[in-house]
Amino acid sequence: MDWATILDIGLKFVAITIAFTVVLLIVAYTVLAERRVLAFIQGRLGPNRVGYGGMLQPFADLLKFILKEDIVPDKSTRFIYFLAPVIATMAALMTMIVYPFGPETYIPLIGTIPLSIARFDVALLYVLGVTSVGVYGIMLAGWSSNNKYSLMGGLRSSAQMISYELALGLSLIGVILLAGTLDLQKIVETQSAWHGFRWFIFLHPLGFIVYLIAAIAETNRVPFDLPEAETELVAGFHTEYSAMKFALFFLAEYINMFTVSMLATTLFLGGWNVPFAEDLFGRGTFLFGLVGVIGFLLKVIFFLFLYIWLRGTLPRFRFDQLMNFGWKFLLPVALFSIFLTATLMMFFM
Amino acid sequence: MLVLLFILFAGLAIGCAIAVVAQRNPLYCAISLIGVFISLACLYVMLAAPFIAAVQVVVYAGAIMVLVVFVIMLLNVEQEERRRSRLGFLVPVAVVLAAILIAEATFIIWFVDRSPVRPLSSVSDTGLTSSIGSALFTKYLLPFEITSILLLMAIVGAMTLARRIKEIPPGAAVVPGAQVLPLHMFDPTIALDDTRAVEAHGSDEVAEVMGVPDDHDPTKRD
Amino acid sequence: MVPQLSWYLALSAILFTIGVAGVIIKRNVIAMFMCVELMLNAVNLTFVAFSSFFHDVTGQLFVFIVMTVAAAEAAVGLGIIIAIFRNRETLDVDEASILKL
Repeated sequence: MDWATILDIGLKFVAITIAFTVVLLIVAYTVLAERRVLAFIQGRLGPNRVGYGGMLQPFADLLKFILKEDIVPDKSTRFIYFLAPVIATMAALMTMIVYPFGPETYIPLIGTIPLSIARFDVALLYVLGVTSVGVYGIMLAGWSSNNKYSLMGGLRSSAQMISYELALGLSLIGVILLAGTLDLQKIVETQSAWHGFRWFIFLHPLGFIVYLIAAIAETNRVPFDLPEAETELVAGFHTEYSAMKFALFFLAEYINMFTVSMLATTLFLGGWNVPFAEDLFGRGTFLFGLVGVIGFLLKVIFFLFLYIWLRGTLPRFRFDQLMNFGWKFLLPVALFSIFLTATLMMFFM
Repeated sequence: MLVLLFILFAGLAIGCAIAVVAQRNPLYCAISLIGVFISLACLYVMLAAPFIAAVQVVVYAGAIMVLVVFVIMLLNVEQEERRRSRLGFLVPVAVVLAAILIAEATFIIWFVDRSPVRPLSSVSDTGLTSSIGSALFTKYLLPFEITSILLLMAIVGAMTLARRIKEIPPGAAVVPGAQVLPLHMFDPTIALDDTRAVEAHGSDEVAEVMGVPDDHDPTKRD
Repeated sequence: MVPQLSWYLALSAILFTIGVAGVIIKRNVIAMFMCVELMLNAVNLTFVAFSSFFHDVTGQLFVFIVMTVAAAEAAVGLGIIIAIFRNRETLDVDEASILKL
């Protein structure tokens, strides 16, 4: 255990703290943005009293969640009841460490560092694995509440998630074919050429559409949110959760949205690549890094806005329509997209 | 440092494995087994096999155990009750034999095998996705293809086993989400186990079709 | 001091033994199935340990195939368990004795 290792571990802790703080802040303001944008779509105003234009609303919500009474149902299995929101939130946050927020930049006091927390060979498979583990949070929450609506909501929700995980994984195979690696940083670097026309959304568009639909189903958002809609099974798997545990589920859903948007940005929209930045600033400089990070965040915010826009516009699927769509339509289309991309690659590369 | 990590993950794996055997509620067994899988995945990462670690989490912890937990929840499996076994007098014999076995195993592991094993270098190439992929599609192509046929057989087998064969009367349409209500609810003179079918488009039309007064809708009280 | 190969083999042997004990002790058929999976994982650990210490990718490929076979076995096995449960209403293997003389 020499000083270089300890310094390295210390830097990683600092990076993780910064990343988690930024993520939680963005997620909190996404909740506010969703309520305001949804309100504008529906012709009303949304929360604008707390702070200027409602900017302090997330903190008011947080205070409410902390101070509410924590009710635990009497006949529930206590250990699993407490474990379920922890699993959901942990699985949502653990995927954060592999995304490249920016290129290798020169930060004045530290040196040239890559702007991501961890880099390993199987990053994309790790992300898929951790989102698979997130299904347990929902299943165990539905079961341990000892409530038939929660159980039905939990089973439906988890059945939907595991069905659409297949289409998600298959749509990503086209990206892996194009990039030749599972490493997310190399995938972003492969998209740097041709001033933005080498982004994989142009090279694998069918896969992008399949990925987007599967991702919306994975995160249980409209139009696939039947298991947790308020007018359906009471509130689905989180009916019996109150105060901070409900806040954890709520947070886990929005962090999942954020994670999926970051994955879409990294794989399809070129990550931190901004079209003409390399010519203007040169690789490895501080300004190039800054422009890269801002570009990444803008693309992620675009995807979050897309999520909110879809929520305000579309009706929701019935559960059997949802499962039919996932298995009988989306899965064959994802397979077809792989064949299409592989064939085109054989002819043009 | 690596020794500490090994002891941590190995202890976690053994602890969760003992919990799998010792727990009586099958859902707790399943959760402990997921703990075993995740600690084994961490051990695979320490052994410079990241692809197998990720595949272990995706396949075992993320798919197989989800299936097992689904089955436990759907079948509503209950806790096992403790039963006194009739062979309780064999326990001291078992303890003695186990002690002899452990002594033999320890002897073998510590004293006999002293051949120089090449030390593990964590920058090896064998764990990377590319080396596994190239071996899988060149040298080991036949097992790969046979495995895919095996999976097809498993899919067909599972679907055949889980199929529910219930007779649907000829001419009936199956509407998903259709409500099945007992006729007794509308006409109390009908016995509780009378399962005649009345076709109507909603529970408020059933009373109309059957010709009995509808007491359930407060807006129709006249 | 780094973990030796024999440590990984010892851990694998312990996990396998616990799995065998579980299959013998448990009476719930789903719990027995889970102990079989534990045994398969112990063997996987042995394969990966040998593959790492001898720099041969064959071990990891075998683990890949074992995982696939375990997944197929899980699907079919749980289908059989559900079919048995529909007939008997119990998952206790000691009750499945109608073929006994």
